[in-house]
Formats: sequence, C-alpha cells, structure tokens
Amino acid sequence: MTQPQDLPKDAAHRLEELEHGLFTSDLSVNEFLLVKEAGFHPLGFVMGSSIYHIGLQTRKWGESQELTKLTEAMYTARELAMNRMEEEAQALGADGVVGVRLDVNYYEWGSDSAEFIAFGTAVKAEDGTSHLNALGKPFTSDLSGQDFWTLMQTGHVPQGLVMGTCVYHIAHRKFTQALGSVGQNVELPNFTQALYEARELAMTRMQDEAGLLKASGIVGVRLEEKSHQWGSHTIEFLALGTAVTKTTGTVTLPKPITIISLDN
Amino acid sequence: MSSPPTADPRAEMLQGARSLAEAPPPGEARGITSDLSVDEALLLHSAGWEPVDLVCGVAVVSVPVGVWNWGQGTISAATDAHNTAVESAARQLRGECTKVHGHGVVGVRVQVEVRPHHIDVELVGTAVQPVAGTDGGGTPFVSDLSARDFILLKGAGWMPVGLAFGACFVYAPRRSAGVAMKQKTQNVELTNFTEAMYTARESAMERMQRSALDAGGQGVVQVRVTEGPMSFARHAVGFTAWGTAVRLVADSHQFLRPELVLPLDDAVVTFEAQSLRGK
Repeated sequence: MTQPQDLPKDAAHRLEELEHGLFTSDLSVNEFLLVKEAGFHPLGFVMGSSIYHIGLQTRKWGESQELTKLTEAMYTARELAMNRMEEEAQALGADGVVGVRLDVNYYEWGSDSAEFIAFGTAVKAEDGTSHLNALGKPFTSDLSGQDFWTLMQTGHVPQGLVMGTCVYHIAHRKFTQALGSVGQNVELPNFTQALYEARELAMTRMQDEAGLLKASGIVGVRLEEKSHQWGSHTIEFLALGTAVTKTTGTVTLPKPITIISLDN
Repeated sequence: MSSPPTADPRAEMLQGARSLAEAPPPGEARGITSDLSVDEALLLHSAGWEPVDLVCGVAVVSVPVGVWNWGQGTISAATDAHNTAVESAARQLRGECTKVHGHGVVGVRVQVEVRPHHIDVELVGTAVQPVAGTDGGGTPFVSDLSARDFILLKGAGWMPVGLAFGACFVYAPRRSAGVAMKQKTQNVELTNFTEAMYTARESAMERMQRSALDAGGQGVVQVRVTEGPMSFARHAVGFTAWGTAVRLVADSHQFLRPELVLPLDDAVVTFEAQSLRGK
C-alpha cells in the first residue's frame, strides 16, 4: 500500500479497513451489477474535498475579460478535491473511479468560501489486468454504471475525468449603446463574443487535459454555466467530460433490440 | 362548518394501534398492507416472495442542552445520540417484522432529523417473506433498497443483510479575525474547515463500515451521504452516511448478461433495465 501524501490521517485509517474485504459504494444495485458485468469489482466509496476561500479580483465595468485569479481558484480547489479522491483510490489499489460527481457547496461561513467535493466508487479489474491511465494513475470517470458498461462494450476504456474552466466577466453595455438598440432586432455582438470566448477557453482547456492523457476522444461532455456568488455579469464556464481511448481493433456490437414500452 | 365527529378520534386511533400491535389469531390472516407499487408487488411474486405488512420503527433521542455550543473535536454526545436513535429504530423495525413473520424489510424510507435538542429517526418499510412460508429463523434483514432492486440483487446471488449507518458531528475551529482579514482577498484553502469535515466524514464512514461488518455484510451498496454545517450551529459540521449491507449467498456472483435495447418511445432518457430482471 502506498502511503497517501496529502490525506488527513483519519482517511488513511478508514482505507485500511476497506482492504479487509468489505466494499462500500454509492452505486445503485443496477450500477453495481453492471460494473460487475464489465469485469470490475467495487472497492470503496472514495472522496476528496477542500473548503476553499476564493479571492477577490477587481473587474472593469465596461470590459470583457477573463478573471484569472478566480479561474485559478476554481481550478485549484477542484484539483485538490480530485487529487485527494484519486489518492484514496490509489491507496486502495484501484484501477479506476467510476460515477464521479463534482459538487460545489456554499455554506453560511461566508459568501466567498465554498466546499469543493468529489465523490466516486473505486473499482478494480477482477482479472487482474491493469487499467491505469497514461499517467500511471487510476482512471476517473463521471460515467454512471450503465454508461460505463456500455462504453466497455464498444471497446473503449475511460482514461480520466477532464475539465476546463474559465471565469469570465462580461462587459456591461454603455448607456448610449443600450439606448441605440431600444426597439430594434439586433445582435449584441459584445455579449455574443464574450460568451463565445469564455466557452472556447473552457473547452480548449478540457481538450488539453485530454491530450495529456493521450485520449482519442471525450464522451459525455457537459457545459455548465454558473454565476456562483459573483453577480450576473461574472460567469464560470465549466466543461467536463470523460476522456476515452480505444483498446481493441474492431468490435462487433450486438444489434440492439428495439422495443416500444407500454408504460408511461 | 363540518359536523362534529361522532366518536373520539383519539380512542379510535389508540384502538387501531392496539389491534395492529397484537399478532393475528392463528389461521386467520390479517389483510396485507404495503406501500409497494403494483409492479413491485408483481415482481416480488414472480420471484417467489410476497409482501406481508407495513412496518415501522421510530426513535427520538434527546441531545443534552449545550453540546452544540463552542468546543473542540468530536461532539460525542450528539454522535452517540444519533447512533442510539438509529439502532433502536432498526431494532423496533426488526421486532415488528418478526411479529408478522416476515423475513426482512425492503424499501425502507429513512428519515433522520437532527435538531438542537433531539434526534429523530423514522424507518418505514414493507416486510416481505417467501411465498412458501417457511419459517425464517434468524434476524430479519432491513434494507432501503426497493423491491425491484432486492429482486435484482437476489438474482445475482446477493442478499441484503441490514442497514449500515454512521454519523459524526465535529466542531470546526474558527479562524482568528486577523487571519480572516488577511485571507480576504486571497485564494486559499480553509484548512480548519477541510479538516473538520474530513474528521466527521471519516469517523461516520468508519462507523458505517463497522455496522456493515457487524451485520455480516461483505459490502455496502447505494451509500447516501448528507454533509455540511448544522443549520442551528454553523460552526458544527455533521456527516451522515447510510446504505444497505449486502452479502454474497450464492457460491459465486451470478452474471446477468444484459442485452442492449433501444426504446423507440419519445424522449426516453432512462436506462432500460428490463433485461436485468432475469428471464
């Protein structure tokens, strides 16, 4: 067992217990059986969290710009949570983590501090083959048990949960501009452009992470836009997905049976 | 204005509760009460099981005054109260299940409320038994899995053995005013909160694992967690975790060989688990 570097000592103690055969998992029964079906056994419910104070950055009222300090905070805090989760998985000797959820919770401790948390179920291949990713770490994936099984059927393996984030301040319009477009059908190019750029930045960063994992694609990408606690003109764009690589040559998938269900 | 009730509702209620508490006279079965949906009941029957009765377990345990106030480390009085409440509610549930000759309780709804002065635990579920009606013996299992999940799990060679529960409450040390001021504009991790959260989480999870092992479980599925500061004491963080402890009863895991199906209905987003239900 490799000794985790960054984990509090209570965590290490709980993980020791898990090595004696008991498994825990937040998978539903369906997912549990499908993960078994895919040739994996759940090892333990792993998690990582970090309560993080997000700094301040001044924004210019009329200028669209990325708020690098806030982007950095969102990145670092998520990385902390993810790394701690991965460390727990590594300590269990896992090949990967499925069903990862990333949450941000705000509590009454102050509007600029938040809890970043990552949950998932660590799994290990039952036939003993290693499924570690290109970086020699357990793979992570936000795919559900169902999606995980389906993905494995197609000859793909998950490599890692990849993300890109960008906190962007979108300029307010000048009063004269606003006045000029009253009553007209016009595109508001400064808004369009700002949203485009922020989204592109987040997506590009996600793709860069996938590149590091030598992935051949990203599945299940979600793009989330949240204002968190920064007011209406500051938005975080978060792109999340599971990077995958193809393992075998050609896969012949059984033809799906089409059904029309009679329930509503 | 409605007419006044003819009978005393309280007396009626008490009488109802009394008759429910008594075992039915031998040879004369009481009707089945259950909160299962029609398809769940049918599914149970198809696997050779049937619902018996709706059973519940309730416990209210008091928390000493003042334990949420300022302190250090684990709030053991609250943690203990939580565990006592959960254990006694589960014991009651098992007792009621044995009384109606059930072999276990499925679909248990878990409701835990942590209040400044007391902790309430309410467990309600449906007692089930095999249709053959063999005497169960042993302690009945308690599980928050739905009847559908129960059948699915049984088909794969596993059985639920009990509800695994764990909770822990911890004080989060305050930052000094000076530190808070200095960190105002910075990106920093608030290690005091992170550590308190970790302590609460780890001891709650460990307790859950211990209770699963005590019940003879080999694993815990469908773990659910609640976490965060208490609404009435924001410098105390709580973490609760629960799930169903399961055990492999067959010689080995029975693979289910799911088939790919493509529903042709409009806007189907749910996964079709039809093929998992066995042939």
